[in-house]
Amino acid sequence: MSTDTLPAVDDLHLRARIDRSLRYPLLFFFTSAAAWLSLSSLLGFFSALTLNVPELVDRFPYLQYGRLHPVHLNALIYGWAMQAGFGVALWLMARLTRNVLRNPVTLVVAGHVWNLVVSVGLLSILFGWGTSMPWLDFHGGLWPVLLLSYISIVIWIVGMFASRSDKGAFISQLYILASIFWFPWIYITANGFIHQESGPAVMKAGINAWYISNMIYMVFAPIALAASYYIVPKVTGRPVFSYALANIGFWTLVIFTGWTGMNRYMGGPLPAWLPTVGSTASIFLFIPALAAFYNQVKTMEGKLAWANYSPALRFAFFGSIAFIVGVALNVIIATFPVGKTLQLTQAQGGVDLVGVYGFFTMTVFGAIYFIVPRVVGCEWPNGQMIRFHFWFSAYGVGAIAAFMIFAGLAQGYVIGNYTEEFTTAVERGKPYLAALAIGWFLIGLSNISFVAQLGLMAIRRGRRDEEGPTLIHKKPEDYFTNELVAEKAAQA
Amino acid sequence: MNSLKPFLTLLALAFVLPWLGLIVYPNARLKSIVTEVAYAKEDDTKDAVFPTGRAFLSSGAKVYASNGCAYCHTQMIRPTYAGTDRWRSGWSGREEDGLARETLPFDYIGERYAYLGVQRNGPDLSNVGHRITDTKWHYDHLYSPRKVVPASIMPSFPNLFISRPVIGQVSELAVDVVEREGSRYEVVPSGEAKALVGYLLSMKKDQKVPKSIAAK
Repeated sequence: MSTDTLPAVDDLHLRARIDRSLRYPLLFFFTSAAAWLSLSSLLGFFSALTLNVPELVDRFPYLQYGRLHPVHLNALIYGWAMQAGFGVALWLMARLTRNVLRNPVTLVVAGHVWNLVVSVGLLSILFGWGTSMPWLDFHGGLWPVLLLSYISIVIWIVGMFASRSDKGAFISQLYILASIFWFPWIYITANGFIHQESGPAVMKAGINAWYISNMIYMVFAPIALAASYYIVPKVTGRPVFSYALANIGFWTLVIFTGWTGMNRYMGGPLPAWLPTVGSTASIFLFIPALAAFYNQVKTMEGKLAWANYSPALRFAFFGSIAFIVGVALNVIIATFPVGKTLQLTQAQGGVDLVGVYGFFTMTVFGAIYFIVPRVVGCEWPNGQMIRFHFWFSAYGVGAIAAFMIFAGLAQGYVIGNYTEEFTTAVERGKPYLAALAIGWFLIGLSNISFVAQLGLMAIRRGRRDEEGPTLIHKKPEDYFTNELVAEKAAQA
Repeated sequence: MNSLKPFLTLLALAFVLPWLGLIVYPNARLKSIVTEVAYAKEDDTKDAVFPTGRAFLSSGAKVYASNGCAYCHTQMIRPTYAGTDRWRSGWSGREEDGLARETLPFDYIGERYAYLGVQRNGPDLSNVGHRITDTKWHYDHLYSPRKVVPASIMPSFPNLFISRPVIGQVSELAVDVVEREGSRYEVVPSGEAKALVGYLLSMKKDQKVPKSIAAK
């Protein structure tokens, strides 16, 4: 995290070698993740459509909402989010620990296993072996394989950390370690408790809710935060504004997230204190969200306008705001006055999406725009397309979240008004569900531009002129830090 | 941070506490209460909570899960402090017998998983076994929902039905009769549909709470 002084030439060459060693694993994870993302947006559009025109799938029982929707969700979580997370975490860890990746082949093989299990899992839902347990819909026998392939991927990240030359630890490293420490734990816990024969059935539903919340805030969020805490200082050429604040954010996230989740079943058949604890703990997540945002803004102070130009900064900035909004919505929906209307409607899905898409996915897009040119050695073909990607994603996810919450209000209000027919709730919700389909269509469009550019980069058909990094708008005079320019030269 | 040990210890501690407090302990406690309930019949012979006669439970629940019913239907009635579910006609049980109430952990005894659900694109099903007692209604509704409830957005489930040649009289379970190549075929529920409807008919989460556990 140096300022405007130039790093040593040796160091620049080492960075270039690190980046090159990661080329194939990273491209593998990013391209397959992007492919799943496209599929997921398409299915998001289509499943929303079947809610409006159910007759569409009358003759195709395998495409009913009850199957398409979980396929869409699980493709988003395990196909896109987890894999994009692998790529970002690998690169950050390699760069921060100054490690050249020595086993790209093993990593790519493990990545193939992951993709295979995800494909089989999605097909299992489509063909009727789904479990109807949100985010854990794959056939019950698949989870040990998925877990093994997870471990065989992240083990290299842990290995890099263990063999780091600099014995200190950056905040980004701590976030990555926490994330890969927590995923196996919650995944084993959730599957272990849920798939056992005996055990109280309601507790299993509670654990399922806990799993979702922990996936968002303790598996995905840390990766996104790690990326922000690395990239924002890099691009602006400034050190992180306050390390103390970053540490506070980290520890509050780690301490409180584990208690959240069951607030989804406020008033449910669980012992009442479980949702209560969940609601209370959710409030504390404001601390990490605000800490990250404040740190980011202060790090960028005076250079805030750079978010107009740098894709990485712009996406990361949007992500940080979405984190705060997501936490706020999560807190609001778990209060009695609001929750009695909004819980058990479309709204909860909208709130989750703000976390998974608005925060994590957007930040990771930014990270990918930063990382990929470094590992392939050419620049993104077109800044306009990045701008298109940004606005369509931003409006898309904003529209989806808003429409799901409005749909929830419309449905919840009628359902709460207990003398009205239930079908009225269905009719009131319908226009918003149509809008939901449009939202996913926008996101699908934006991802076409993302996938196209990523594909060109993967076959190394990017820009190779003297212009420097591709920006969203034409670059201002004082834009680049010397460090990034030198880094670029060393790669050539 | 120069040594990793304190970091990992703190991290593990931060994770273990909620794991024990939110998952392991409540799970064990609920398990013990629920087991007690199952054997508390001496106290309240007539009122035992344990839902009896749910023979279709496991196979029906499996069909319920594999068709993703839980993505649009809930199986939980919230108490009055958290919504008006209790007052919606037919949702919370047999009002005329004073049995209507919110759902409790004991209502799910004998199930592999409680499909509490995520959202109500369709009505709550906790007590659909009381609300709709007609088997044929369910078959017709599953086969073509909008013929039964015009405003419904439920998909139809032709995959739960089979068509077979009509021999003698048309079966009384038939949901449709079609003419193909000169012979008549009837569309009748498959084993899966029967299991699912059995499961729906058994959905009665309003049994009286036995005195032995009412206090807990």
